[in-house]
Amino acid sequence: MDVSRFNTDVVVVGGGGAACRAAIAVAEKGLDCILVDKGRPGRSGATPCALWSIQAPFGPRGRDERDTPDQFFEDMVKAGRFIGDQNIVEIVAYTACERILDMERYGVHFKKYDDGRFFQTPMPGQTYPRSCFMIENGQHMSTVLAKEVSRHKNIKVFKDFFAFALLKNGKSVVGILGMDLINGEIVAINAKSTVMATGGYTSLWGFSDNPPTLTGDGVAMAYRAGADIVDLEFNQYYGTDVIWPPSVRGTVVLYELMIDEFADGEITDKFGKPIINKPLPVRDEAIKTIFNVIKEGRGTPHGGVYFDTTKSSKGEAAVREVFDTMTPKHYRFLIDAAGIDLAKTPLEVAPASHYQCGGIYINERGQSSVDGLYGGGECAGNFQGANRLAGSALCDTQTTGAQAGICAAADAKMRGTIPIDENNLKSNLDIIHKYLSKKEKTVRPVFIKEEILKTMDKYISPYREESGMRKGLSIIESLKNEVDKILVPDIKRYNLELMEAIEADLMTSTAEITFGSALFRKESRGHHNRIDYPETDDKNWRCHTIVSLKGEKPDYSKREAIYTRIKP
Amino acid sequence: MAKAMIKAKIYRYDPDKDKKPYYKDYKVDVDRNVTVYELLTQIHRDYDGTLAYRTFKCYKGMCTTCIVKLNGKVVKSCATMVEPNTKIIIEPAGGGKVIRDLVIDFNKM
Repeated sequence: MDVSRFNTDVVVVGGGGAACRAAIAVAEKGLDCILVDKGRPGRSGATPCALWSIQAPFGPRGRDERDTPDQFFEDMVKAGRFIGDQNIVEIVAYTACERILDMERYGVHFKKYDDGRFFQTPMPGQTYPRSCFMIENGQHMSTVLAKEVSRHKNIKVFKDFFAFALLKNGKSVVGILGMDLINGEIVAINAKSTVMATGGYTSLWGFSDNPPTLTGDGVAMAYRAGADIVDLEFNQYYGTDVIWPPSVRGTVVLYELMIDEFADGEITDKFGKPIINKPLPVRDEAIKTIFNVIKEGRGTPHGGVYFDTTKSSKGEAAVREVFDTMTPKHYRFLIDAAGIDLAKTPLEVAPASHYQCGGIYINERGQSSVDGLYGGGECAGNFQGANRLAGSALCDTQTTGAQAGICAAADAKMRGTIPIDENNLKSNLDIIHKYLSKKEKTVRPVFIKEEILKTMDKYISPYREESGMRKGLSIIESLKNEVDKILVPDIKRYNLELMEAIEADLMTSTAEITFGSALFRKESRGHHNRIDYPETDDKNWRCHTIVSLKGEKPDYSKREAIYTRIKP
Repeated sequence: MAKAMIKAKIYRYDPDKDKKPYYKDYKVDVDRNVTVYELLTQIHRDYDGTLAYRTFKCYKGMCTTCIVKLNGKVVKSCATMVEPNTKIIIEPAGGGKVIRDLVIDFNKM
């Protein structure tokens, strides 16, 4: 198999908010960068799915002059149930305003008051209203960031490029191996630093509100390259995603809009009885309530609860105005794709896979535990802790994304190029070879992916327990053997089945260590609810779960969380 | 509910192998209105794994990654419904070279 070769200072993997921001940071330091994206920057990752909310403590320059970076820091640490590493939370809380001003400079439109202050909305868990309002939401932000990337001559963008392995020489990561989906070519990129910004792996679950392409390739690649992976048991669900009808399944409708300031509606059980009290709880608490109502048999026909604004004191016209102002695209989409008018019809919603609080273990410089490898955004792990605030995901893409880019660039200058180890490259090529070589019994990758999704939905829902997870883990382990039986057609251009095969392969690793991490943590905290260990156990478990590859197997251990400013 | 059917004629083209584009017919069983995106997903899964289309979606009809031509008109496949018992033609949206089948190398993305 021929392999095309490229050299650069820093390679960035991903095409969402964090990847674009990291690449911009590298370019601003005057270094060369290649950004590789499984899709198209600006239409890739979870960033386009996001709503208006990106939080930053603007204080006097925003809605409430009392807000400060200190307060943001405290809110984030508390919401994370004291296991977010505070050295990284500092980066988020204290650089958020600067990064949002960067975005404004790139061309992102923010809603402002007449006197120029940032308009900000209140979200659960924020002491003061802190969510800046992007008029055209996450899609606009993605497009603007992609444009900014294209303005830098020293960033090369490889679109439709599927990175599937990290290349190592000795103990260092020295670049990536991937496939150009446009022509089927295999490409090795030798880089001084490698930044992983591939987002979460929300689409490891069948019921998810993220694009199906978010299969967690980056976390699996880092794990296979020997990096420490952290806190995978804290997969965040979002409480109110559409569960029915199927054409709009997974679309987010915000429970945060139910407050008096907005729609003044209710989340109700099947009898129309409100189930979420106001002031609204933070996400992990909201999800527990909804999940329990469904479990008690008070759920809707398709296993959800109702998102109902029909009894709002404001009346239909005013409610429609709220949806039209706050989430106009979602409102329109539900009409076009399902014929549902959210202002008129109660909608069936349920908790769906939404975000990974865990991921690649990093330090405050974005460095992973492996030399040469960095992480930023959702695919990095140890700063959200056990739960994430609304408006944090987008904020983190910019703060930790920029930080990873800045530090990867600085280190690239010092490190120089370590060449590719040809034996390592060859062994990584096997991932592709095996799906194209003839075999007796064959399986199609789409069915393996489906099986993984079903297994995650069934055994690692917001509530989980030992025996179910053991069963789930054994299914995933048996699917690893099925992966070896995959045969895909020999097509060079945009071979969707080959993409699915690689995804299925990487997904078995991520699924395995997610089950393993959730089995390891024998307590309940944030988004990890063990039926068999319902209490939070601060004495034994106010710490991280670390998983790393030892030989062929995952090895699990605890690691202290880092406290710089606030002790629990 | 009795099963109904959508007859879809789909543009196929692999510049490496085909001298020119051709159309392939699929009879897809459905039991309700489906979006074009759902239809393509079902064809890829149950009828023909070699069909190429873009699977990315943003869940709000905004990103336009999934656009195709439906009966000659450019539509967002995630936000456009097709009724059972209809005949439709699906083609690439244009705006760039065809990479394969319905996947376009969009000039502006």
